[in-house]
Amino acid sequence: MDENRYREWLALWEKDALYWVPCNDDDIDPTRQVSIIYDDWGRIEQRVERLLSGSVLAQDPKPRMRRTVSNIEIEDGAGDEIATRSNFTLVLAKGGTQQLWAGRTFHKLRRVPPSFKIFYKKVMLVNADQEMPLLQFLI
Amino acid sequence: MDRSPIDFGALTRNGRIHGSLYRDPAIFEREVAAIWNKVWVYIGHDSEIPKPGDFVRRQIGLQPVIMIRDDGGAVRVLYNRCRHRGNLLCHRDRGSAVTLKCPYHGWTYSRGGALLAPTFEEGYDSSLRKEDFALTPVERQGAYRGLVFASVAPTGPSLDAHLGAAKEYIDLFMDLSPTGEIELNTGTQKLSYRGNWKFLPENSLEGDYHGPFIHRIAFELHGKRTGLDMSSLYENQIPDVIHSLPGGHMVEDYRGATMAPPKRPPSAARLAYIALMEQRYGAAKAKQLLSTIPPLVYIFPNLLYIMTHIRRVQPVSVDETYVYYQPMLLKGAPDEINALRLREHEFGFGPAGLISPDDIEIMERNQRGVEARGNDWQFIGRGMHRDKLLPDGRSSGFTMDECHLRGMWQYYGRLMSDPDATLSA
Repeated sequence: MDENRYREWLALWEKDALYWVPCNDDDIDPTRQVSIIYDDWGRIEQRVERLLSGSVLAQDPKPRMRRTVSNIEIEDGAGDEIATRSNFTLVLAKGGTQQLWAGRTFHKLRRVPPSFKIFYKKVMLVNADQEMPLLQFLI
Repeated sequence: MDRSPIDFGALTRNGRIHGSLYRDPAIFEREVAAIWNKVWVYIGHDSEIPKPGDFVRRQIGLQPVIMIRDDGGAVRVLYNRCRHRGNLLCHRDRGSAVTLKCPYHGWTYSRGGALLAPTFEEGYDSSLRKEDFALTPVERQGAYRGLVFASVAPTGPSLDAHLGAAKEYIDLFMDLSPTGEIELNTGTQKLSYRGNWKFLPENSLEGDYHGPFIHRIAFELHGKRTGLDMSSLYENQIPDVIHSLPGGHMVEDYRGATMAPPKRPPSAARLAYIALMEQRYGAAKAKQLLSTIPPLVYIFPNLLYIMTHIRRVQPVSVDETYVYYQPMLLKGAPDEINALRLREHEFGFGPAGLISPDDIEIMERNQRGVEARGNDWQFIGRGMHRDKLLPDGRSSGFTMDECHLRGMWQYYGRLMSDPDATLSA
């Protein structure tokens, strides 16, 4: 994600995917409340297609970024599934400033040999209820 | 104030706008006095506060206010300031209150703003009258179809006169609802950008001109998913689409630009929605409402309706602005239609959308661009030779013309050249 390897990132997802970044609160009803991102696989693919098109202005030039993932907890799920919870901090340099992003991520993964694939990812941003700058990178 | 080189009364003569209007802190200060502290400012929609005690925190220019529903069910816009020592009374963005209690010394007010009790009342002179210490209502308040506006100026044109011709366009997007009512209690995407507030209305209503340059990919992806033919968005020869309205408002009216319906058959929910629309409005009007995109509307100075949502513009300083995006749901429409509206909104708008972030990036670059002072004028002259001026004060142009921007700036110039403006600062 930090190296903008969009195709490889897209390949990590299962087709029944949900990629969700709630807005305002961590727990909202996405059928009645707006989210920052609420993508099924088709929308994830379109998001990646746009990022790959080279026409995303906020990615010209591509911002440099690095994130640290920590406090990882792993739970057994049903059958071949596991759930993980983790925290991240992300520093991004853009337009003469540094931005700091942070949040908690809830992944649900399915075993697809030889590894796992993502079928659910919920990112709870610490600033979900604050005025924020553009979020035009993978979170 | 007078060191400004701007002749506000002559703004947009020759289609030119001076760069200092976006970068000069003295002009921003004058805007606060001459615009934000004068005109009707959009506060919120009454569906955001459905029950007595529900409130949201808002601003009129730089002044904090709350919009709250009182015990009788009326919506009230009050200054967000304790009458005791001036503390910010309500510091949460939104919520529901039984009473409004100042956290500083405990003065407590009813949901309508009446002072219930100063604390340690025995220490006050017995002649202290509680009714002299009620929360201060904003000087004027009004509403149109649930959209609540307020003005901190005690006198001025009525809200009805201010909205004027814009009401027709507010009706058009509200009438997408099969009950005629909308719901805005849908959460708020909050964004900040490093640029002047006026870039936002300027940019939001000229998508036809800049669309082919900065939104091409997003429009293609949208067309691919919805089956809509997006090529009509690049058409630049449709007359009477762009309007400026008296009062500084702007409109893109697509009623003359019907879109071909999607090739794939409509879903069951869509058919149910169409049936509800026909029931309420009759077949002809329902067809017209659903045959193209609803109008894009800017109500001067801070309210926009764009495609899926109500957008609110909040200046912070001359070069910083907050934008609030609230998706508009249609009361009475099938749940699936409203959920789809949310998904369409998220796809395009907010910090992680695929359309409006390109606009925001452009606005930040625009702010840096106008720091260059050589030949310090911008040009908004497209279509000037063919503007149609209508008797009711509106001007009308072709799809990509800039007559609406000229209209907004002329109104802005009138407000800014008012010699009394500085008195109320």
